[in-house]
Amino acid sequence: MAVDGRSVAVQQFLKKTELIKQGAEARVYRGIFLGKPTILKERFPKLYRHPLLDEKLTHRRTVQEVRALLRCRKAGISAPAVYFVDYTCHCIFLEDIVGSVTVRDYITSIQLSPQKSQEERLDHLAKKMGLVLAKMHEEDVIHGDLTTSNMLLKVGGDTEEADLFLIDFGLSYISALPEDKGVDMYVLEKAFLSTHPNTEALFEKLLKAYTASYRKSHSVINKLNEVRLRGRKRSMVG
Amino acid sequence: MEGKIDGALINPFMIVHPFEVLVAANKAVHLHRIGKMKTRRMYSEIIYNLSPTNNISDAFKRFGTSDSDTAVLIVLVHPTDETRHMTEVMAKVDGQQIPVEDVSKMVDTAQIKKLYRTTPQEDSCLLDAVVCRMAVKDVI
Ligand SMILES: Nc1ncnc2c1ncn2[C@@H]1O[C@H](COP(=O)(O)OP(=O)(O)O)[C@@H](O)[C@H]1O
Ligand SMILES: [Mg+2]
Repeated sequence: MAVDGRSVAVQQFLKKTELIKQGAEARVYRGIFLGKPTILKERFPKLYRHPLLDEKLTHRRTVQEVRALLRCRKAGISAPAVYFVDYTCHCIFLEDIVGSVTVRDYITSIQLSPQKSQEERLDHLAKKMGLVLAKMHEEDVIHGDLTTSNMLLKVGGDTEEADLFLIDFGLSYISALPEDKGVDMYVLEKAFLSTHPNTEALFEKLLKAYTASYRKSHSVINKLNEVRLRGRKRSMVG
Repeated sequence: MEGKIDGALINPFMIVHPFEVLVAANKAVHLHRIGKMKTRRMYSEIIYNLSPTNNISDAFKRFGTSDSDTAVLIVLVHPTDETRHMTEVMAKVDGQQIPVEDVSKMVDTAQIKKLYRTTPQEDSCLLDAVVCRMAVKDVI
């Protein structure tokens, strides 16, 4: 065990890497691990939390993340492969989805491009998102933090068709309850509309694709509507 | 083969790609350092790490070698600049040496799919399916 608490694999990896995101929960690096382009996600201690509680929570997030990634991959949902997990420093070594962009950046870039081709490309993307989320909920995976930053689009792979990857499963869990799935979609709706202004119609298209391809979507959408209403009431009172 | 070989002796027909072995070895070295190996020796730990389950004797049955085997993959862990041990091991093996990349040509795909219980959706990259299960098996 190295002096600073990081394993040899982590230390070697960090020698030649690039920090790509410093978040509130984790640092994300890009580098090479055993010869492969790899993303290292390191969850660091939160100093304001009690150390034992913090350790427990951080461990749980790491475990939830890798479990969900495997579960999704088994079901044919595109998600990065897990190469190695270091539970002592809460590090996950993941397949780097080389050449991908976040859906967030992709939408922004489309919105900056010439008006003409915008709608078609955005509609196509919304449909794709709806289908992937339907598949995920069919597997009873609740993502827990659906945003357009937690989806990657890999354009120009083997096929013409771009591949949509789901990432950042630290808050995920397994549940068959329509309520949990409804809240999952509500979280996405909130994030989507605040990140990408004036996209209400686009989000409706996403929901339409979700509904059309998911047998049990009816009860989820009912719950979504309930949660929306609760949200609105709360903001009217507050 | 003559005498005992100090290394991990692996059944190459169960290996999809050398990357898988690197992953297993890296994990063994890591757990060795922090004193959390599941087996008693680094070389047995490498074999154990290749397996999708937490059953040690199962791992040896699938990934270990037996006297009747016609091929073996030998894994050694050593400091980068210290290759003496490797020369020693090579002297003990009576057989034809092949490039490590060639293990991919020997793989028994049907056996791999069965053992790791991969889904048809994972067929496009069996290596990722295998490595994922190896990486996550402690918490499944
Ligand atoms: N497997 C990956 N391949 C490529 N980029 C990734 C991958 N995982 C994460 N990223 C990039 O790093 C960012 C942060 O990763 P994420 O897992 O969402 O961590 P956080 O919890 O900090 O949001 C993502 O938005 C994406 O840009
Ligand atoms: Mg994220």
